[in-house]
Amino acid sequence: MLGPGVRVAAVALVALIVALVLGWTPLVPTALVLVGGLYAAQLAIDDAALDGASPVFAAGLLVTAELAYWSLDEREGVLGEAGEGLRRVAFVALLGIAALLVAAALLVLVDSVRAEALALDVLGAVAAAVTLLAIVLVARRTQRDA
Amino acid sequence: MAAIGLVAALALRRPELAIVAAPFAVLLAIGTRLARDPRVEVELAIAAGRTLEEAEVEAVMTVRTDLPVDRLELLVDLPSGVEMADGDAACAIRLGRGEEREIPFTLRCSRWGVFALGDVDVRARDPFRLVVWEERCSGQHELKAYPSPISLRKILAPVETQAFSGSEVARVKGDGVEYADIRDFVPGDRVRSINWRASARRQELVVNERHPERNTDVVLFLDSFVDVRRDDRSTLEEAVRAGASLATRYLERRDRVGLVGFGGVLRWLQPGMGLTQRYRLIETMLETGVEPTYTWRDVNLIPARVLPPKALVLALTPLADPRFVVALEDLRARGFDLVVVEVDPMPLVEAGSSEVEALAYRLWALEREVLRSRLERLGIGVARWGDVALEVALEEVRTYRRYARLARV
Repeated sequence: MLGPGVRVAAVALVALIVALVLGWTPLVPTALVLVGGLYAAQLAIDDAALDGASPVFAAGLLVTAELAYWSLDEREGVLGEAGEGLRRVAFVALLGIAALLVAAALLVLVDSVRAEALALDVLGAVAAAVTLLAIVLVARRTQRDA
Repeated sequence: MAAIGLVAALALRRPELAIVAAPFAVLLAIGTRLARDPRVEVELAIAAGRTLEEAEVEAVMTVRTDLPVDRLELLVDLPSGVEMADGDAACAIRLGRGEEREIPFTLRCSRWGVFALGDVDVRARDPFRLVVWEERCSGQHELKAYPSPISLRKILAPVETQAFSGSEVARVKGDGVEYADIRDFVPGDRVRSINWRASARRQELVVNERHPERNTDVVLFLDSFVDVRRDDRSTLEEAVRAGASLATRYLERRDRVGLVGFGGVLRWLQPGMGLTQRYRLIETMLETGVEPTYTWRDVNLIPARVLPPKALVLALTPLADPRFVVALEDLRARGFDLVVVEVDPMPLVEAGSSEVEALAYRLWALEREVLRSRLERLGIGVARWGDVALEVALEEVRTYRRYARLARV
């Protein structure tokens, strides 16, 4: 009998494949959120110490998203210039490395200041709220430009 | 995703989720911060405004931007009837700051018509592929595709000729090349007209009489009431193709050619001659389309000077609308020399699979036979142009007119 984690991962994989085969763009973030949710559930259930593999997971998730959207872009069949594919591969690789570095730096930071305090919780909440606000503003600006 | 990750990190008190969300948030922040509208300008230039059906036309699309664009997708919006002969309608390029690029391609018109070109859909993406700018650049180019000519070695000669010199041998006698008859010499006759051999035989002077070469007036009477269409074939398109070819051949003989487009919209062009008239005729025909109407049309609507006396009226019609048939009978009753080039719609209509449909098809075919016979009884030659070449169809009418016109016209 398969565990719930494997089942969720299988659903995420199917969602990603369906998104790529049928060209349904909204299924790509759905699949990624499912995988992220699975990771979160695993962390919550295990209740282990700080997971050292999280930068790799973050970079993998970002690279998967980039590759999936690239694949969807290619469905339009618009031929690019020679060398565009190689440039894109290099870009995705660089993006993955940068994501890995950013996540690793954050991991080191979190590990060094790991402490249970209300101030840190508040700071995290404020950071999350600012990020959400920034996303909303960006979305509104994009809508206005369109 | 970044937002979900951050919220989940707070809710579950797991910093790993914030770490997973962080690269997405950083990418979003940097990408949207660096994204700028590249202000793309696109111009389309076409080498010629006029072309022939199935001929190729060179075109160049010039693209320039103020800011660098990592991927600029361009889609040339081609109307139905125009296709890419060489190159792609959609392409993607990379442009640097202030760079200008020329993209050449070749167009081909798969059918005749007037086509509006110049619309290009532009989609620019930022380097992180987060923001997309879409724009439709509209141009004002008109490409006229003339119908490809049909080979015609012989065309129909009108019964009567006009007063000006041309290529048609007139039935009257006068100065010309073609021998007509001999008659007795009368004072005033030119000496070079004397037929010395006949004069010696008769022991009196006789002179040769000749047929002069005159021009003719031809009016193309185009039926635009109805268009029978199937796949890429259409009776109206074929009629216009035949009309353009006939007009070209008559104008080459220095005849005057006019046009009447008879249908929902009445279009006409007075008879004229020369290359300019040819372009006028073809461009008027290119604008011909079927405008649905239920009103009755009468030939009285046609200005008198468009249908000059003694003109040969060549009707191009599928013989599918009774209003046009009545107009033909009316013209014949007014004494016009009339020939119908029937663009046969039968091959464009399927007989149907059921017995009733097959019977209806046969009845329709019989009704058309009756209609042709009725027109021929009125002295109207009917060239049935369907499976056979136009020249063959016209030859049948020529034969009909050779034996029928003296008795019935």
